[in-house]
Amino acid sequence: MVAQESPGEWVLLQYRLPREPSTPRSAVWRRLRALGVAQLGDGLVALPHDARTREQLDWVAAEVREASGTAALWLARPATAAQEAELARTMARARAEEYRAVRDEALAGLQRTGGAGAASLPPAEHARLVKRLRAELRRVRRRDFSAPPERAEAVAAVEELARAAAAAPVAAGRHP
Amino acid sequence: MRWATRAGVHIDRAACAWLLRRFVDPGAVFVFVADPAQVPADATPFDVPGVDLSHHGRDCSFETVLRRYELTDPVLWRIAALVHEADLDDGRYDAPEAPGFDLALRALSMVEGDERVLELTGPLFDGVYEFFRRELLLGREPS
Repeated sequence: MVAQESPGEWVLLQYRLPREPSTPRSAVWRRLRALGVAQLGDGLVALPHDARTREQLDWVAAEVREASGTAALWLARPATAAQEAELARTMARARAEEYRAVRDEALAGLQRTGGAGAASLPPAEHARLVKRLRAELRRVRRRDFSAPPERAEAVAAVEELARAAAAAPVAAGRHP
Repeated sequence: MRWATRAGVHIDRAACAWLLRRFVDPGAVFVFVADPAQVPADATPFDVPGVDLSHHGRDCSFETVLRRYELTDPVLWRIAALVHEADLDDGRYDAPEAPGFDLALRALSMVEGDERVLELTGPLFDGVYEFFRRELLLGREPS
């Protein structure tokens, strides 16, 4: 979507918030992080432009103004394809890291699947872990504009964990 | 009364339109604008950035409408959880049906215009209201 020959359109949010109180500052930052923005500079973030990303940044801009800050939305094109590719790479790296974290948690869960002893994962906890990791994966995918290879690895690891959870009741029978 | 919102309605705007018509203004007429500056002078805007009936703090527009019109019906607040999670997905509420509603509304808006989306989702929200009402009374999912 992002790596095309001529640069595509991006939606930029330029914003400024008072340093105090810090609650709206961190709320805005949490929102932006959840949206998967690329940080271009101090108080300047970007997303590939579509109706949805534009709307989401519109809401953040409204939130900034409500907290006595200033905000403006811009539609812009990177001047060169290379500049856009760099932006896309930065975003892909951030998503890749999130996918790796999900995969690692799924693999750690798999290692604790089956077998007995204190280290083994009780079935209920196993099911909760699958549910949480699937939800986390859904959130990361929603802000993923680049589909790095780590995505498929994370999906595969979580689904393997889910299959192991489905097979787990046999082991559960041995519990007192 | 006339009410205005942004064109291309999704879950929050569709739910607000239903809420306004059912609980605030039975004669509500809706207009859809591409740009907030196009809101007609005689219309009350909702779910438009920067207006009163809109997102405030952590609230989505549906929650804001409930607060402004002092609608305290717990069934409506259960619907608010659905709308909030479908719209913002920030884990404030436990609403496992939210991703399905988000998809359904986005899918519908791909093939139908705004007027038609409101026509189709009206009975859906009526039904959801009835479902959650029975659930609250029974203390479990109704059959």
